[in-house]
Amino acid sequence: MIISRQKEFNNILQMLGEIDIFIIGCGKCAKKQRAGGEPEVLEMKKKLEDAGKNITGWTVLSSACSITSWADVLSQNPGINKADALLVMSCGGGVSVISGFAGKQVYPALDTESLGGVCCNEVVTEQCGMCGDCTIWLYGGICPVIRCAKSLLNGPCGGAVQGKCEVDERLCAWDKIFERLKELGKLENIENIHEPKDHLKTRVKKA
Amino acid sequence: MNFISKLRSGKFIITAEISPPKGTDTSRMLRDAALLKDIADAVNVTDNQRAVMRMSPIAACSILQGKGFETIMHITCRDRNRLALQSELVGASALGIGNVLVMSGDHPSKGDHVGAKPVYDLDSVQLLGMIRELNRGVDLSGNKLDGRTDFCVGAVTNTELNEAGLIKLKKKIKMGVNFLQTQAVFDVEKFSGFMERADEIRSTQSKQIKIIAGIIPLRSERSALFLNKVPGIRVPDDMIKQIKDAKDPEVEGMRITAEIIKKLRTMCDGIHIMPVGNHENTKKLLEMADLI
Repeated sequence: MIISRQKEFNNILQMLGEIDIFIIGCGKCAKKQRAGGEPEVLEMKKKLEDAGKNITGWTVLSSACSITSWADVLSQNPGINKADALLVMSCGGGVSVISGFAGKQVYPALDTESLGGVCCNEVVTEQCGMCGDCTIWLYGGICPVIRCAKSLLNGPCGGAVQGKCEVDERLCAWDKIFERLKELGKLENIENIHEPKDHLKTRVKKA
Repeated sequence: MNFISKLRSGKFIITAEISPPKGTDTSRMLRDAALLKDIADAVNVTDNQRAVMRMSPIAACSILQGKGFETIMHITCRDRNRLALQSELVGASALGIGNVLVMSGDHPSKGDHVGAKPVYDLDSVQLLGMIRELNRGVDLSGNKLDGRTDFCVGAVTNTELNEAGLIKLKKKIKMGVNFLQTQAVFDVEKFSGFMERADEIRSTQSKQIKIIAGIIPLRSERSALFLNKVPGIRVPDDMIKQIKDAKDPEVEGMRITAEIIKKLRTMCDGIHIMPVGNHENTKKLLEMADLI
């Protein structure tokens, strides 16, 4: 699941130069995080109207990043053609896909943070660094590329104080990696030296 | 005798840390360096330490070497990708800088450019491996160099390590370092424990690796309390009380520090003085510790 959060309403308002706006929510990740599902879209609609915008319509697509037919979206939402701009309440993937079809100005209402998931109804952030070369099995299922603030592959940096990362409130990922590998009886995985990442694999392969 | 020869000779090493200027005016850096003339075996030059932007260590080292100082250039993984790290190192070598000290580097969020993009393309273990290749005359992609580097290489370590930290230290040693510089030592007994573990690693990997203990002279109760917030540093409570109760905290700090140095002398291969931008008392401190 793509982790995103809503922008400050004032920032959204500053972005939107146009008056006639159509709002598109996303029924997948953004809905799960209560950032772009129906209740949030309706709340956004009200706030924008209160701020003097004319909302020409709204919809929540089943998945903003995965559209079968833009023609179908248009036929079901005549308000889109009446709008000067679209406000999309999804991750950057959804905003980009819609921008590719829309032929008009598209604004993001959310900021995309990381690739995470949902477990027992709880959203978990920063689970995958999208490096294109998954070696998570070497680290007890905890990805150092994203969970370590410095993406270190060969062990902790020495900057943690009492197990807390020097960067923010998070716990040192390397303590967790160590504990997990110990439990699994696979400490040799981090005793081995890991070579630098091949970032060529991160880049999107073009057909 | 150069630094690597001194390391090999078994002499008790004295290094001292200097910060490049924040700007182009090198006068303060040179003043600090002058206080170390004939005292330090080599001068460490920091690399945007605490992620605060300063003159590049390669420039600062070059200027200092021109004044007759042998330098140890710090190089962190924070600001440069593998191309930049290699070109910097090759350039440093061509400028006559023969010693480097490798570390991950404090995260940009700790410094004065908090919005900077952290690089960390390599980690410190991988950077050590890369330097080993440059010393062999090959770059990280296996291309042959026109003229190899010949670095004497150091790495850093905390002295209170958890098990994951110890594994990392072993890896650094495996990558062929000549010396290790530690975070500041205040608790000599705990340092002795660290040395036991380090000796175990040294005995299985390479006995030649020298261990240089970090020293930060205490100046006041406030500075001691501040240091306790720095990762890897722990000033014992009784030491803080000693400073607090002293008539002249700075003199008391020097006395305590000299005592620490005297005890460390029999335990490790050298000391590294980090007085945070002020070497006025360094000479006196070394005299008090009977080192000069």
